[in-house]
Amino acid sequence: MPAFQILKEKVADGMILLTVRGFLDAHTFEELERCINDLFEEGHYKLVVDLSGLDYISSAGAGVFIGAIGTAQENEGNIILVNPSPNVKEVFDLLGLSQIFTFKANREDAAKALR
Amino acid sequence: MLKDRLVVSNDTRHLIVVRDFVSRCIRQSRLPREDENKVILAVDEAVTNIIEHGYDEGVSGSIELEIEANDQQFKVMIRDTGRVFNPESVPDPDMKEHVQKGYKKGLGIFLMRQIMDEVRYKFKDGVKNELTLVKYIR
Repeated sequence: MPAFQILKEKVADGMILLTVRGFLDAHTFEELERCINDLFEEGHYKLVVDLSGLDYISSAGAGVFIGAIGTAQENEGNIILVNPSPNVKEVFDLLGLSQIFTFKANREDAAKALR
Repeated sequence: MLKDRLVVSNDTRHLIVVRDFVSRCIRQSRLPREDENKVILAVDEAVTNIIEHGYDEGVSGSIELEIEANDQQFKVMIRDTGRVFNPESVPDPDMKEHVQKGYKKGLGIFLMRQIMDEVRYKFKDGVKNELTLVKYIR
């Protein structure tokens, strides 16, 4: 299995579902950053990011979301994070990001939050 | 007393090796499992900083990690011969400003301080930078 994997799906109402798996660190973050920048260029600013398969995140990985959420919100979108593991959520907590990002337990609730 | 050592080159592809090494040492130590992810993260951040800022692009260098653990503490010493850099000189970020301005970097040292009980830097002759991270075992 690759160390990091992103699956991209278009869902209803112009929303995009990103499923990220593996290790999101200083070695892999640029792949996610490119993916999100491409979506912004295509005019997609409503992103649901499923983190349930993400095993690890460092500040380089969290930095991708920090760098992108402002652009998403300025364009009437948002980034909703779904079901991170306790280890991944702990990193958002340590960085003080849990008040800034919206977390949902499943994709359906995340999609509702974006409508 | 647990002692172990790892040397990697300054390439982010080795971060996974660093994390596996720290994880293995933690599991052989008395550090509680609830601290495992955090201590691995702190070491990852320290090594990432060296890889990203310690050397000019294209210049190869090595990073040495030495772990010592006993009943009282889990200690990681990280040594490199790159650019002199004292993380103690870096202030904590204002996270709201970070998000507003879309800054993506500069969070690693803050995380190290949040997680570890001691973060100490010294410049050693013949070694150059030595960063010591200590987590107390309570």
